[in-house]
Order: sequence, then C-alpha cells, then structure tokens
Amino acid sequence: MIMKEKGLYIFLSLLAVAMVAIMVADFDFGGAEKGKGNPYALDIEEFRSVDPSLVHYRETRNIRLPFEHPKAIAYANGRLYIGADSFLQVITPEGRELLHVGLSASPECLYAAEDGRIFVGFRSHIEVLNGAGEPIARWEGLGENSVLTSLTLKDGILFVADAGQRRISRFSAADGRLLGHFEGQTGKGAFQGFVVPSPTFDVAVNADGELWVVNPGNHRFEQYTAEGELRTFWENHSQGIDGFTGCCNPAQLAFLPDGSFVTSEKRIVRIKVHRPSGELDGVVAPPEKFEENGKAPDIAVSPEGIIYALDLDRRMVRVFEKKENL
Amino acid sequence: MEKDKTYNRRDFLESGMRLGLALAVGAAGGLAISKATAGEWVWQIDPFACTQCGRCADECVLSPSAVKCVHAFDLCGYCDLCGGYLIPGSNEISTAAENQLCPTSAIQRKYIEDPYFEYIIDEDLCIGCAKCVKGCASFGNGSLHLQIKHDLCDNCNECAIARLCPSDAIKRVPASEPYLVKGGFLEPALG
Repeated sequence: MIMKEKGLYIFLSLLAVAMVAIMVADFDFGGAEKGKGNPYALDIEEFRSVDPSLVHYRETRNIRLPFEHPKAIAYANGRLYIGADSFLQVITPEGRELLHVGLSASPECLYAAEDGRIFVGFRSHIEVLNGAGEPIARWEGLGENSVLTSLTLKDGILFVADAGQRRISRFSAADGRLLGHFEGQTGKGAFQGFVVPSPTFDVAVNADGELWVVNPGNHRFEQYTAEGELRTFWENHSQGIDGFTGCCNPAQLAFLPDGSFVTSEKRIVRIKVHRPSGELDGVVAPPEKFEENGKAPDIAVSPEGIIYALDLDRRMVRVFEKKENL
Repeated sequence: MEKDKTYNRRDFLESGMRLGLALAVGAAGGLAISKATAGEWVWQIDPFACTQCGRCADECVLSPSAVKCVHAFDLCGYCDLCGGYLIPGSNEISTAAENQLCPTSAIQRKYIEDPYFEYIIDEDLCIGCAKCVKGCASFGNGSLHLQIKHDLCDNCNECAIARLCPSDAIKRVPASEPYLVKGGFLEPALG
C-alpha cells in the first residue's frame, strides 16, 4: 500500500515537472518567435543616417515647456513666442518667462510683428493680441473648411496659409480686411496650384522681403508677389538628404539672415539648410535627434542665425547654433 | 451497511442519468454561450500599434493571410513619388516591377490628373506583409495600413498572429465595429 502511494507521488511529481517544462518551453518558444526576423523588412536606415560632416550645427541648449501640445513658435524683438494647448507664452531666448496668457482655443500658428502685435491663427480664424497678450481684434470669414497652418507679414499684409482650402489668404494688417486669396495657379497648364495632402503648409518672408510659399505635395518652394503672381520656384524630389520626399515636405520653413532656407521635415524628421539657390548647404539636426516617426518641429530663426526648433514630441525648444569651425 | 441498503442499483442509475442529463444540458448551454460570445467579438489590428513586423503574412492559419493592406484614401496624398508604392531610391518613378515595393505587385497605380495618382490594393494579391505600410509610414501620410478582413478571417479562439505579435497590436473588438480604420485630413497617423 505504501509502495503504491509512493509510486503515485512519484508519478504526480514527474507529471507536474513535465507540465512546467512544457509551459516554460512554450513560453520561451513564443518569446523567440516574437523576436524573430522579418523576411519582408523594409530597411530605411540609410535614409535616416546622415554623414556627420554634413551636420553644421550643434545643439547648445534646450528649454523645457510646461505644455502638453506645443504647436507654434516665432521669434521677434529678442523674444520667443510659443503657442501651445490654449496658451500663448513669451520667453527670453534663455527661457525666462515674460508672459503667459490664455487663448480662446488651441492655436495652430502665430506671427509676432515688430510693432508688438501678436497674430494668432486658430483653425479657421485669426486673433490679434497686443504686446501684453490682450485680444484687440478677431478676423473671420475664411470658411468652415479652413485649416490655418502659417502666418507671415509683408508690407502691411498678413499672409495666411490655409491648408484646408489650399490657398494663401491676404488680410490688411491694419484693419483685418480680407483682401483676397491666391491658389498658386499662374495660368492654364502652368502649375496645379498648391498640393496640400495634410495640414502642413507654410509661408514665410525672407530678409529681402520675398514672399515664399511651400508647395509641400510638389516638394517645391514658390516665390510670389504680394498679389499672388509666381516669380520663381525651385524644387527637389529626392529620398536622399539633398531633397524632400513624402506627401508633404518640407513641413515648416524659416529663413536665415542671408536668405538661406531652413526646412523642417516630417516622418524622417530632420532640419536642414538650403542655400538661396536651393542646393543643400548642411544639416542642422539629423533624424537621430528626434523621435522616430515624430512630428516636424516648428522653427524660428533669430537675426543672429540661431535656429529655435519647437520639438512637439519632447515638448521643448531646442536651440541650434552653427559650429565655430565652419 | 444501512447506507448501502438505501442506495441501490436503481438509485445509482437514476442519479447517473440525472448527472448525465445535467452535464449534457450544461455543455450545450456552455457551447451556446461560447458561440454567442465568440460572435460578438472579432480580432482586429490597431494600426497605430502595428510595427509592420511581417508576422501577419506568415503566421495566420489561412494562406494567404486574412490580413490585408487597406487604404485610407482621405489620408492619402495621391503622390507621384509614393513611399508605399516605390522602392526607396528607385531608379525612376514608374510601374516597372523593379521599382515596386510590394513583393506581389498588389498595389495598382492609377493616374488621376497631374500630379495625382491613386493607389488601389488588389486584395487577391495582397499577403499582408506590411512592406508598403512601412514605406507609407516612413515617407508618407500613413494612409496604407493593415486590417483583418472579416470576410476571410476564421475568428479563431486564439489568433495565431496575435499570439506572436511583438507589439500586441491585435486585439478583440466588438463585432458591431469590426474595423479600426485610419482616416481624417486633420488626424494623420503620426503627425
């Protein structure tokens, strides 16, 4: 009887060990399977890696922001203006807060004028604030399909990039009168107009007063007169570092004091400088500086050529200065 | 001994039959409940969690896989230089086989008007490998993404792909809302 019980215990013990072994083996097998290679892998590392000799800037500091969803940055009068969540924040380039005011909604874009006025673009309207952050005007009339993505000022006209309606709208900066729109069409068969597959559509003015519009679907930079007549353009479709690729790049545009284009791209996130003629000059921040598949940083440039990148994923302003030996 | 007298063979048979009947009813009820429950939930891929690992093509019990690429047209840029259609760095933008990213040529490229092209998935050819999804997510708007097609899926109790999915992107969703499709001009997949 005792022998029988002993045999039963041995059998049950062996059974338990076998069951545990099977479970462990199954678990391990599943883990190994989960980690096995991908026979259909698409390797894009060569497009993410950048020759270090092309990186002409170094990150000198960054400023952490107290916001969940930073959206837009501008530089004027020695200050940085940041639109985020439903707030406008004004800080010094060192990060000291000068102003923090609430907005009526979540801002999409902003422009700070030399006269102290701050133009804030929302989804389909614009609000004008004074230097103290107090609202002084509200401009509407763009339509319910509008998605405003960028603002800039030239000769008393506020140019508004409207990704939703794929056009640039013009307002009188003095009284908010809507002066008209242009869609990038310069005549039959010349161009298709602005190709804006996603809400990234930028407009900016360089130090020479030239109005440039990014035509992101065509990877093209187009220069227009204030009335919307095309003067010149350059483009570069390329999946390499020298050009632009994807549906809508570059996503953001700013200018260095010498007229060079500072561009920020989405998907393979990177910031580059192109010469006024269009050739790649160098890289400000390679993709490894940003989150993989992150959002394109908004960018602003000081008169000294310091580039401020608003990193939407890490919620900070990242400051890039040209390397001394270049 | 008294107990043996009161529990005779007839009692044993009666209680055995009762037990058998109860088990049969219970099993039938359980089966019905499990069937009904299984019908209310189906497997689906969360496109925002998917990391395009390639498992969906090979691990599904069906061949070809019940996972197919779907196209959110309202997110698509209709680009000529399409990251989901063309091999990165392809020598030209054309429909030539050597320039196509899809290993089964399951994406049809159709000219709409300058500069727009439409990309349509041929489900009969698609094996769900996600190569185009990776290309679209890396260079484009992320409009191409994987979904389990419920006209093909066996809705297994334990999805063979879900078991191996490295990002746990496959989950049960209500059968009343069986797809997790991307979309929206203002909500591109990843920025």
